[in-house]
Amino acid sequence: MAVAPASVAAPFAARDWLRAAGKGEGGVQLSGLLLILDAFAAVGFALGLAFGVTGISSGLLRAAPWLALLAASAALRGLLAKAAAEAGAGAALTVKAFARRHAFAAVLAQPPGGARTAGESMAAVVEGVEALDGYFSRFIPARLASAAAPLVVIAAAAFASPISAAIMTATLIPFIVGMVLAGLSAAEESRRQFQALERLSGLFLDRVRALPLILAFQGEAVQVRALTLRADELQRRTASVLRIAFISSGVLEFFAAISVAVVAVYCGFNLLRLLPFPVPETLDLTRALFVLALAPEVYAPMRRLAAAYHDRQAAEAAVASLAPLSQATQPLTVAPPPSLDRAPAIRFVGATVLYPGTDRPVFDRFDLDVPPDSITVVLGPSGAGKSTLLHLLLGLAPLSAGEVWIDGLQLSAVGSFAPLIAWAGQAPLIVPGTLADNIALARRGATHEEIAEAAERVGLGGALGARTMGLDARLDERGGGLSGGERRRLAFARALLKPAPILLLDEPTANLDVESERRMLSVITEAAKGRTTLIATHSDRVAALADQVIRL
Amino acid sequence: MILAKTKNLRALVDGERRRQGRALALASLSAAVLSVASVALLSLSGWFIAAAALAGAAGLASAQMFNYLIPAAAVRFLAILRTGFRYAERVASHEAALKALARIRPALFAGLAAAPPKEALALSGGEASARLVQDVDAIETLFARLSNPWAAGAAVASGVALTGLAGWAPALALAAFCVIATFNARHLAPSHARLGRDQQRAAGALKDAVAAFAAAAPELRCYGLETWAADEIDARGRAFGALKLQSARAQGWSSLAQSAILGLAIATVVALAARASTSLAALAGLATVGTLEILAGVLKAMEQNGAVAEAADRLEPLLVHGAAQGVLAGSWAEPAIAFDGQLFAPGERIAIAGPSGAGKTTLFERLLVLRAPPAGFVQIDGVDLAALSAAEARRCFAYAPQDAALLAGTVRENLALADPQADDDALWAVLHDAALDIRVQQAPEGLDSWVGENGARLSGGERRRLCLARALLRPAPWLILDEPTEGLDEATETLVLNRLQQRLDRTGQGLLIASHRAAPLRLCSRLVQFGGSDAAQTPARSARV
Repeated sequence: MAVAPASVAAPFAARDWLRAAGKGEGGVQLSGLLLILDAFAAVGFALGLAFGVTGISSGLLRAAPWLALLAASAALRGLLAKAAAEAGAGAALTVKAFARRHAFAAVLAQPPGGARTAGESMAAVVEGVEALDGYFSRFIPARLASAAAPLVVIAAAAFASPISAAIMTATLIPFIVGMVLAGLSAAEESRRQFQALERLSGLFLDRVRALPLILAFQGEAVQVRALTLRADELQRRTASVLRIAFISSGVLEFFAAISVAVVAVYCGFNLLRLLPFPVPETLDLTRALFVLALAPEVYAPMRRLAAAYHDRQAAEAAVASLAPLSQATQPLTVAPPPSLDRAPAIRFVGATVLYPGTDRPVFDRFDLDVPPDSITVVLGPSGAGKSTLLHLLLGLAPLSAGEVWIDGLQLSAVGSFAPLIAWAGQAPLIVPGTLADNIALARRGATHEEIAEAAERVGLGGALGARTMGLDARLDERGGGLSGGERRRLAFARALLKPAPILLLDEPTANLDVESERRMLSVITEAAKGRTTLIATHSDRVAALADQVIRL
Repeated sequence: MILAKTKNLRALVDGERRRQGRALALASLSAAVLSVASVALLSLSGWFIAAAALAGAAGLASAQMFNYLIPAAAVRFLAILRTGFRYAERVASHEAALKALARIRPALFAGLAAAPPKEALALSGGEASARLVQDVDAIETLFARLSNPWAAGAAVASGVALTGLAGWAPALALAAFCVIATFNARHLAPSHARLGRDQQRAAGALKDAVAAFAAAAPELRCYGLETWAADEIDARGRAFGALKLQSARAQGWSSLAQSAILGLAIATVVALAARASTSLAALAGLATVGTLEILAGVLKAMEQNGAVAEAADRLEPLLVHGAAQGVLAGSWAEPAIAFDGQLFAPGERIAIAGPSGAGKTTLFERLLVLRAPPAGFVQIDGVDLAALSAAEARRCFAYAPQDAALLAGTVRENLALADPQADDDALWAVLHDAALDIRVQQAPEGLDSWVGENGARLSGGERRRLCLARALLRPAPWLILDEPTEGLDEATETLVLNRLQQRLDRTGQGLLIASHRAAPLRLCSRLVQFGGSDAAQTPARSARV
């Protein structure tokens, strides 16, 4: 897709996406409906006020029912506002859960390290999804209500004073025009400010990542100055966006005040009987107060809509990063290719990996033959594509050209060889639970003996057994109590537990001391028996195990 | 006080409040005027209509006697006043808040950089982004709402005064309802605060889980755990969502209570104004509406206290170490360094050899105090490194790390990290020595070419050479190169190493180099072999080559 037309069409595509996402969410409509009912409560409030104030001079008893109506209407408005907010929030919850699932599936289908950074992935799944909240819980209900609520109020006013109702109707049209203009002018500015904010967070993320470097070069002061400059720039942009927003809301407010004043002046002169032109109605104080109390309520739904406008802009900006994700999503479960009962050969033929949106392939026309039941080691510096090569077999990196064969199976046909593969990676997943639970993630239903054996073979049994409760040691999310090396061994125990004919190891010995590395080498040799093994590593000792060594 | 327990953050916030004092004072003044104008506008409108009706009912003569010009003009004036001061209040308070935040963010980064390496480097990118962006945003309200007490005070004072025109009883009733509204908000505040804190935490837990799962994507796919992981994220998302809903409900209860109080207040005030004229009753009723609506808005701001407190608690640890101290505090021109009982004179070239994991990189990180050096581990000119400040140690070294880390920025920005004052000639000279000058010349933007996040636009070898060029640019007595030629082909490696030798001959810099390749080690006159069972601690043998 060409870039320019896509960006022009972006708001419309975003709106389609949002519409599709909110389809069938009754809560949004309910919330809007409750806001429309609020207009009826406002009418009750105005009635109570008008009759209460005019009735009070002829005794509390006459005014009391009206004052009660006033108090009840005020409470009812509170109740309706509460119910509307809850219905909207509930509907937004469902939409967000749906969107989050999609965004997360996309993150898993293309993990960080490829075209996306960890920060971007996280922003899409958390902040991006959260930005939809205001759109569904506030903006859409406000838009629904703004279509009907003013008409309800005007109709009620027409009973007391048709001419006041006519004035309200007439002022409504320029008010809507003004609101649209204000919304449009703010949209572009706020998009730019949103970008500035993203750039600043990106800069912070990067400088925190590069903090060891900055410390080593004693660049703290310079970087703080640079960050100050960028932060100042963001501040100026945000301030100018806010100024526009405040001016436009000020204009709307002033316009509403003037419209109310026109109604008030008409009522005043009608009451004084000093109108310079004949009118077919004669007002009394009750009618006038009623109409006046209603007048601001005509514009209130519009102003609520205007206030929720930035919710829409935030949602549309977020959809720009969410929508491509939901398109790119592959099904979560990959259909298992026919199972293999012996170690297969792996053949890369002209394999090319080019992440979408980048101009440089990670590798280009790559050829490699991995014979069955052998160990192949891939050496190379960080960033050279060792991990991407392993990701390719799992379908986590895109095969842009060429082919990868596992015996007679084509990667382009099956999408992923994951069911055939056991894996030990650089950042093993640790979930809250016991060590045994964590190892068992590799194969649900593994017996305690099998788990214990796997743990023993990678040297986890001894290390942990002496210190804690062994396999029953509880781990928190951050892997509390496990060293970097022990985490690798945990990943390795998982790989041993899964009976798969292919073994992929990503830096299996990093962070291990020499003695543990030596012990791990024998574990690798043993685990690789009867499997076709591909290892990405920095370590020459690991390379020494290999039947063949490839340098990237 | 929300910041009672976070004294460093409070000092920072107080400082910024003083700095923005003028704008914040303007905001408070505007808020007060705005409140008075709003209450007066509503009251006067009510009185005007009622008085007009009375005059009209009394006949044409009294209608013509009725002075409608002054009240009508006053209504217009108040409407303009209200719009103008609302704009002034919003602009002044938000600009003050934004300016303060623009200074607080870099100050937090400086605090992070000044923390001990173990703390500073333990913060993950996600956490850092959450702190410096979301948490700082959460404390914006500490500035934006400073005008709130003024707004509330002015509204209550003018409301009570205007209601007083209809008699002391309505005025007293309004004052009582203001107290009730405030009391109600204070009563509900702790539950809002708890929900606010829980929400911030739940959002953090969701983020952490997404980051952990994203990093473990291959494992999840291999073991068929993707659906399970999606369910886990779903559960956390729903837990967060449930808190949000609970919070919406709690806010609903608050506003319901405030609406009910408003309704009761108007009914009571109007009932008590029975003895006054209809026009004054209308005035009192509408003054009550105006006053309580402003008060409710101000009290609603208290609902954010929980989120602010949670954000403050998380920001505080970044500030406990004060700002980064002055750079280049050392006193040596060319120090000798010693570790494990061996002395290395200035200008010596030392090869650090040993298998992966033997502790070569750990040694370098300790020299640079990126890891705390154990006492007695290294001496610089006879002084224990552990006793020196980080700045004094770091000024001795220029470093090209093994992971070839780069800043997201241009070639120039990356080089400037080593020497912000260097001119273009100096930049080109080091690029030449790293055999990267031709590649940079060919790029359309030259020195201003964007290298991408962590050098994503460069190949592995180019990243490594840019890191080498940067280390060469830094005028430090010792050069530390960790695997400087990995990923380079032999011809480039030879070129780079020859130029490095010429440069060292010229500058007399000392060299510590770690490499698994043979060629870089040939530059050196001494070899320190790392290995053995306790490899991270002990160089096993050393030799003259």
